[in-house]
Amino acid sequence: MSRLHRASSLRYLLKHPAQLALSVLGVALGVAVVVALDLAIQSSRAAFEASTTTVAGRATHMVIGGPTGVDAAVFRRIRLEIGLREAAPVIEGFVTTAAVPGITLRLLGVDPFSEAAFRPYLGGGPSDGRVGTLLTTEGGVFLSAETAASSGLGVGDTFSLETNRGPRPVVLAGLLEPVDAFDRVGVRDLAITDIGLAEDLVGRPGGLSRVDLAVPAGDAGNALLERIRAILPPDARLEEAGTRTRTLEGMIGAFDLNLTALSLLALVFGMFLIYNTMTFSVVQRRNLIGSLRAIGVTRGEIFRGIAVEAALLGAVGTAFGIGLGIVLGRGLVRLITRTINDLYFVLNVEGLAVSPGVIVKGAVIGVTATVLTALPPAWEASGANPRQALLRSALEGTARRWVPKAAISGLMLAALALPILLLSGESLIVSFLAIFLVILSLALLTPLGTVLLVATVAPLLRRAGGTLWAIAARSVVTSLSRTGPAIAALVVAVSVVVGLGSMITSFRSTLIGWLDQTLQADIYVSLPSTVSSRPEGTLPPGVVDVLTSAPEVAGFSTYRGTEFQTDYGLTRLVALDLDPRGEAAFTFQAGRPREAFASFRDGEGLLVSEPFAYRHRLSVGDDVRLPTVSGERSFAVSGVFFDYGSERGTLMIARDTYDRYFDDPEITSLGLFLSTDSDSEATVVALGRRLADAGLADVPVIVRSNRALRDTSLRVFDRTFAVTGVLRALAFVVAFIGVLSALMAIQLERSRELGLLRATGLTPRELWKVVTAETGILGFVAGIQAIPIGVALAAIMIFIVNKRSFGWTLQMEVPFALLAQSVGLALLGALLAGLYPAWRMARVSPAEALRDE
Amino acid sequence: MTIRRLVIIAAVAGLVTFWAAGRLAQRSEPARSSGLSVVDVLAGSDTAGFARALEPRPFVFPADHGPHPDFRTEWWYVTANLEGALGDRFGVQLTIFRSALAPEGPSAVSDWTTNQAYMGHFAVTDVSADRFSAFERFARGAQGLAGAQSDPPRAWLEDWEIEAIDDDAFRIRASQPGLAVELVLRSSKALVLQGEEGLSQKGPGAGNASYYYSFTRMEAEGVVRRDGRETAVEGSAWLDREWSTSALAAGQVGWDWFALQLDDGRDLMVYRMRRADGTADAYSKGVLVGTRGEPTPLDLEDIDLTVEERWTSPSTGVTYPASWSLAVPSAGLALRIQPVRSDQELDVTFRYWEGAVDVEGRAHGEPVSGVGYVELTGYGAEIGSRVDVARGRRITEEPGG
Repeated sequence: MSRLHRASSLRYLLKHPAQLALSVLGVALGVAVVVALDLAIQSSRAAFEASTTTVAGRATHMVIGGPTGVDAAVFRRIRLEIGLREAAPVIEGFVTTAAVPGITLRLLGVDPFSEAAFRPYLGGGPSDGRVGTLLTTEGGVFLSAETAASSGLGVGDTFSLETNRGPRPVVLAGLLEPVDAFDRVGVRDLAITDIGLAEDLVGRPGGLSRVDLAVPAGDAGNALLERIRAILPPDARLEEAGTRTRTLEGMIGAFDLNLTALSLLALVFGMFLIYNTMTFSVVQRRNLIGSLRAIGVTRGEIFRGIAVEAALLGAVGTAFGIGLGIVLGRGLVRLITRTINDLYFVLNVEGLAVSPGVIVKGAVIGVTATVLTALPPAWEASGANPRQALLRSALEGTARRWVPKAAISGLMLAALALPILLLSGESLIVSFLAIFLVILSLALLTPLGTVLLVATVAPLLRRAGGTLWAIAARSVVTSLSRTGPAIAALVVAVSVVVGLGSMITSFRSTLIGWLDQTLQADIYVSLPSTVSSRPEGTLPPGVVDVLTSAPEVAGFSTYRGTEFQTDYGLTRLVALDLDPRGEAAFTFQAGRPREAFASFRDGEGLLVSEPFAYRHRLSVGDDVRLPTVSGERSFAVSGVFFDYGSERGTLMIARDTYDRYFDDPEITSLGLFLSTDSDSEATVVALGRRLADAGLADVPVIVRSNRALRDTSLRVFDRTFAVTGVLRALAFVVAFIGVLSALMAIQLERSRELGLLRATGLTPRELWKVVTAETGILGFVAGIQAIPIGVALAAIMIFIVNKRSFGWTLQMEVPFALLAQSVGLALLGALLAGLYPAWRMARVSPAEALRDE
Repeated sequence: MTIRRLVIIAAVAGLVTFWAAGRLAQRSEPARSSGLSVVDVLAGSDTAGFARALEPRPFVFPADHGPHPDFRTEWWYVTANLEGALGDRFGVQLTIFRSALAPEGPSAVSDWTTNQAYMGHFAVTDVSADRFSAFERFARGAQGLAGAQSDPPRAWLEDWEIEAIDDDAFRIRASQPGLAVELVLRSSKALVLQGEEGLSQKGPGAGNASYYYSFTRMEAEGVVRRDGRETAVEGSAWLDREWSTSALAAGQVGWDWFALQLDDGRDLMVYRMRRADGTADAYSKGVLVGTRGEPTPLDLEDIDLTVEERWTSPSTGVTYPASWSLAVPSAGLALRIQPVRSDQELDVTFRYWEGAVDVEGRAHGEPVSGVGYVELTGYGAEIGSRVDVARGRRITEEPGG
């Protein structure tokens, strides 16, 4: 880049500070969203890894069990008969405490004498001498030194743990003082107790969550593992320690990918913005570039100059973006963590871990994207011959010729995207790629759409607003080189708002419909869950009898939710004793209800939820293999039902069948059907009294009406989608700024033209009219075009991405209000963008406006 | 027998307090683990709520071979000198310690819940193969992992076991990968009730005592398995049974304990308690057991003990006495005691040296020889003194039991 060129470039940018600022802001926001989300995901992953690794400690393998866990006898046999001393029993559960607000503590019940080989942080040294007290202290709990300090607890202090068996007083018996930083992160949400106390707190008598093993690698270790397998009961399994971590990681994979795709969308908007800015700046400098070329500056120099300019712009924007991303990330990580907790598993993420890798990635993406998007305008500017470059008309001529070409490439891309979308099987990444292709193709179609739309509305405008509006409409088309990208950006932004909005609305209304259908019982009885993502605990003895024998109760269903490892990964199995009235709760996607229920009740068949069937490619009649107390057994799929309660899917087994194959009499929750003359809310109160009368007043169960449970479920749903909502808003803000910047630039660039109009008699008032009319038309045109695109996006997200990510079938619903709102938003954005230029134009005297540079 | 008792209280307290330090930590940070000095381990013992040994009691066998869980500490302690048919020589130590961590267990209703913890030490000196192996285990007295019972009397820690098969006969079993011992022990002498009818006063004050009896000479017969090779062995063993609650007095840093079986049919047990200033504590004691089991108590002034050689452990750097001259003029004994090999150091949570020894010397002028076991504790504290300083507070806070 020549000095002359460099100087001219710099002057140009400095002369247009607003333009410069908006471009930088656009890049910054695009990069910020990507970096923020990336950091948030990474942080949650890091916390997840630290926590699983810390909890697993040095275990190489683990024995896991069926619905009731692993029998303690298994541990004893491994120790005594196999003689493997590096074996540790573990009972795991989740508790909360007011002393450590906002965190779900992972309760780890251990046998201190078995621990040394596994979790060294349990005994950091002689300072942890009170670890022995774990066995004998009434309610002794160890917390990490950090957690204890932040909650103001000292050793010896008593506090209350909220468990699924109600509040329990415990004593801080000691502190975990891990030596290395990794463990320090991992132990922050740990509450360690003796295994005997944990059994009591978690309420799983006799059942271990797992037995950790440290087995040496090689033949000796394999022989040992074989011997252990040989003594395991049929429903227990031996797995490598990493298996569970990988299962859990796999669970959030789709979720992470969805978020990443959304963040990339924001970057795409950012790129639109850069493209727009660069195009505009090139267009504006055509005279200058022509002059430079005329005095001998080569094409290559021009090209490089523009590329370098873009790179600098990108670098500055990226730098801001990374800073902003870190700030945004802090907020996002909380939202993401909450969603993971609601949907998947317990995870505590403390703050944002700013990893250099993510920063570098963000920087590279930001700068590269900026330079790439600047290439077409740079190419065009350097490609023109000097004389042509000086001609504005040449550019607009090219732009208009480009309209059909763009439309054709758009159609071709769409043609390419559709088969990819439909044939990509279950690959999410390919689906997202196809979505980007679709967006791109639709964006390429917008110039044509704009020309056509304007052509359609122009006569109407002329009639309604006279010549001025006609001028405005014409200029939208005549300056397509600049209005094109702006409209495309606005279209994409609004369509994403429409698409995501429709998706969430569809999801929500599907869920409401499902809840209304599913919650057939009048009253539900469950445990106070410390965790919404997994079933924990069982109803205390007596509760079922007391409640079901109430006079108001005409019938009831019982549920026993369990979760254990099977060939299908971590599997949710619900043993259901279904009242006939409850059958209406099931809507079948496959299988006829009558036969499905018959085979479910009498033929030992399973009802399989849609996500489970989708994930494991099961249809009616297929076999599902489950480990039972009498060995592995196949159960036929009787029916596939719609279910939005679990993203991984649920298997329903008839209680009688369950009792035959699993040694577990427990019940997790109850659905009560009331006699027709009973009022649910009044009965809830009456049942509470009934429990109290039976001496069960302190028993920690929640009795609530159908309505209350429905509301709770919806609250969780809304919380789950908070992060999507935020991303949607961010994407829109980026796009909006892009449009603002583009439209503003367009109007500012038209100073001369408008000056001419002013000189020929246009009053400032009329000028306002022209400018706002033009931006208004832009906004309207974009808004209209966004509707079909948005609906198409929604359809893709609902029927393809969502299905592939979660396996749910959603009823698509496109709310009219959302569409109107979106067009309104586009219009408003466009009008706002016109304000400043109009105000400036109106103030400037025509003579000044006409003065050449 | 204060010394032995001290060892055991120390060891059991060590189990409670320092299980976490584990052998891994010990290997990687010797300086820190060597800070587990005997005195430190013995400190901080609260006797409230436990049964105490206040007066002589009638012993009922075989029931008293079983546990006494109301007392804080109890042990089944076997040492044996064995020989194979081909002349292989072995020393075997198997000890099961029971420790009540609190007078009562927590109220949580769980099969895991217990106030009883167990520690085991198993060591084999394979003289012919020039190898010494020592192992340590901990387990809670629940879920069948470890425990003790009276009927039939038995104490076990996983697959290590000391079981009474008669009033005066025991079977012991212990195995580790590549090494196992199974012995039947039959006493050829009446058991010795230590102290006053089995009430062994350990220090000033009522209750600072234990119930204590020993089989000082048992005929041992069984097998030693090394890497699958089985060797039939026989020899003589010594079994100590003791339970108590009270703890060690302040100012004592460790002890040297000798259990010798002489070929004239007599057994000699001697312990010297070492004070911080290097002198022998007045509670140092001994007992000479006659051929039929009749005990003759010995006091500090009856015993003349001199260290002749010292040995420094290459793995821990700790220097131990390695050869002694021991004279009991009143019994006409002048003995020279020599370990069968230098390295019989148990590098476990609570580190000590315990090993088989040979005895040569004269009894009333006649040549006498024998075998035995020696236990040396409290050595190498200087290495851990840095850590001890930090923990001095606890030591001074609780001046003994």
